Amino acid sequence: MKPLALEVRQLRKSWGRSLALDSATFSVESGEVFGLLGPNGAGKTTLLSILSCLTSADAGEVLIEGEPLRRDDPAHKRLIGIGTQDLAIYSDLTPVENLRFFGRLYGLRGDDLDSRVEAMLELTELKDRARQRAGTFSGGQKRRLNLGVAMVHRPKILFLDEPTSGVDPQSRNHIFERVRRLAEEGTTIVYTSHYMEEVQTLCERIAILDRGRVVACDTLAGLLSLLDGAVTFSVDGDAMGLADALRSMPGLRVDAVDGSRVALAGADVSRMLMQVLDLLRSRRQNLTDLKLTEPNLERVFLHLTERTLRD
Amino acid sequence: MNSILTLAAKDLRLLVRDTRSAIILLLMPLSFVVVLGLAAGESFGQKTDDRLRLSVVVEDDGRIDGPPSAFPGVPWSEVFLRDLSGSADIRIEAIPDRATAERLIRDSKRSAVLIFEKDFSRRVHSCSFLSVAEPPDPEPLNPLYRDGIDIDRLGITLLRDPTQQVAASIIEQVAQVTMLRVVIPWMIGRAFERVGDEKFMDQMSKDFPLMGLLPGRVKKDLGPLVQQTIGKLFSRYNFTAKSWAGLTRAETRTGDSVAVSTFESEPSGGLIPRGAKRWQVLVPSLTVMFMFFLVLTCGWLFVAERRQGTLVRLRAAPLSRTAILLGKLIPCLLVSMFQGMFLMVAGYLIFGMSWGTEAWAIPLVVASVSFAAMGLALLIAGLARTETQVAIYGTLLVLLLAGVSGSLMPRDLMPESMKRVSYITPHAWGLDAFNQLLTNPAPNLAIVGTACAALLGFGMVFLVLAWLLTRLE
Repeated sequence: MKPLALEVRQLRKSWGRSLALDSATFSVESGEVFGLLGPNGAGKTTLLSILSCLTSADAGEVLIEGEPLRRDDPAHKRLIGIGTQDLAIYSDLTPVENLRFFGRLYGLRGDDLDSRVEAMLELTELKDRARQRAGTFSGGQKRRLNLGVAMVHRPKILFLDEPTSGVDPQSRNHIFERVRRLAEEGTTIVYTSHYMEEVQTLCERIAILDRGRVVACDTLAGLLSLLDGAVTFSVDGDAMGLADALRSMPGLRVDAVDGSRVALAGADVSRMLMQVLDLLRSRRQNLTDLKLTEPNLERVFLHLTERTLRD
Repeated sequence: MNSILTLAAKDLRLLVRDTRSAIILLLMPLSFVVVLGLAAGESFGQKTDDRLRLSVVVEDDGRIDGPPSAFPGVPWSEVFLRDLSGSADIRIEAIPDRATAERLIRDSKRSAVLIFEKDFSRRVHSCSFLSVAEPPDPEPLNPLYRDGIDIDRLGITLLRDPTQQVAASIIEQVAQVTMLRVVIPWMIGRAFERVGDEKFMDQMSKDFPLMGLLPGRVKKDLGPLVQQTIGKLFSRYNFTAKSWAGLTRAETRTGDSVAVSTFESEPSGGLIPRGAKRWQVLVPSLTVMFMFFLVLTCGWLFVAERRQGTLVRLRAAPLSRTAILLGKLIPCLLVSMFQGMFLMVAGYLIFGMSWGTEAWAIPLVVASVSFAAMGLALLIAGLARTETQVAIYGTLLVLLLAGVSGSLMPRDLMPESMKRVSYITPHAWGLDAFNQLLTNPAPNLAIVGTACAALLGFGMVFLVLAWLLTRLE
């Protein structure tokens, strides 16, 4: 098992009477891409604000590489990078000036600063626009620069809050690639997004946050296993006899029989389908309609929170 | 410290690139100075002086015709000016020559100028009630007519600005009255000297034949006796005195010399050839006012930091709250000091403004005003959340403070009570300091020092408030 880069223990935070975080607990391994999912108002921004040293928790504890996070400790702040949901770059400065400024704030100097600025320009593919003001850039270019600025000081943990919000597919793919590369290089990444497919694609483990609580935290497979898949089909001839025959088979469950229509549930949709096809062949019956439903993160999320992600 | 300098350098770069701020901080005050300077009247920027200014050109050569005379002992033009300068409400300004006077009238810079012609003394000296000449005295001149004294006849030319008729008429009246006071006693004195003299007695003998029977010795004694009798009869007057004070037996005015100020053309060495005194007032006034417009620039800088989301990054970076505020403070202070010195240099180069005898103190005053302005700017910037709030709070506050302090008008024109009230604004202290340095030939450095201390005090109070009230979240 890899060492833990981040541990969140029983974190609690209220804004006035509104409880934003309620005993939130999870941990992230070093070099892991960790997904944080939750609808609006779930407490994601509050959680990231606490983890980024922007605000303090009412209770609970955050450990960074095993040490309690101290909000005013510059050494801890240097371990963290934040890719904010809203752009946080100076539009009247060029990419070079933005990168140099934030690099210097984090203590980079001389050749080290130069090389990091150069590396970030390459990473964000903004080398050819390095001396132009960021205000003239497209949304995607600004997003890339925003990411570069967050990483210029080599943070150990990078918090990315909706990093692909409002960008074109090309820039989105570019960001995905960079995130993967960073993780391979050892950077721990906490990634929040509204896009399930992004989290499914990028993240090794995912925490689902709802009303300030972590309602699930597992690998993608682990989360998907919380829900069954479904095979719903219609046949010519007798469906009741078919359903009776299916009930005796392992790994599936007959949920409903209605005339010629049968609904099955089970963990493995492919296996269920093969079982149905074999049985139909042996009974000389034909399929007239078929619908397969695989378990996915969206359904898991809906199941756990009773809300859609964009609520 | 490195972080603070990094922040400061970044903000300085942003400020330099901000054309809106450059316009507000540099071009607007210059434009105001030019417009107000060109629009202001001739007396703008001068100490208030309620006395009537009477401008004169003296071409009088002081010569008189006839036998030498003990009276008046000086040219008659000087007698005139002495009498005039003794009037509490009149100040005399001597203009060097007729050409200058004509130019001043043509440019409407003077409403009227009195010119004492070359033979003025000769003409006044020949004024007499006599109708015929009595050698060796010159031909008698009668200056009197229905409305008083005919100054033309006496050799006084009055140049008038046709656009300032009322003021010119007042000056003409003053000249008339003064001439009456000068000429009438002279004429009475000369006439009274004749009472009882040989020619007077001869004339009486012709008109009253019995007089001829009196022996010559008696007639000789009778003449002065007549004079003495008239003198006793009208004892309140001294008919032989020849001056108004003597004639009326009034107390002689103190200071017998002529108090005449010399006309200064107030040359402006700058590009705009107007009297330089206005710039001595306008440039510092508007400099102080516009230095406080830093509130807008600094406020916008802060709001932009919030709006762009970069304030979040700064807060997440290894920076203390103090470092963030100091990082903002330094560039604002530098920009403000540059602005102040820029306007002072522009005042010198463009408007020909003088830096006075203690020019070394000007940067100190500029720095003190900058410190106060920067403190206020940081306070407003910390409180305002949007650009609109900055614009409204900033503009209202700056204009209000400028109005109360006297930045929008010469402070000398303010009532004393308002002047006292104005010291609740930092502007007033700055203006006091600049006033000492730029308009006082011998600046009182104690006043300058006190003003600088007050400005630094204002700055500190503003900074403490900014520190307490600014929310970076």
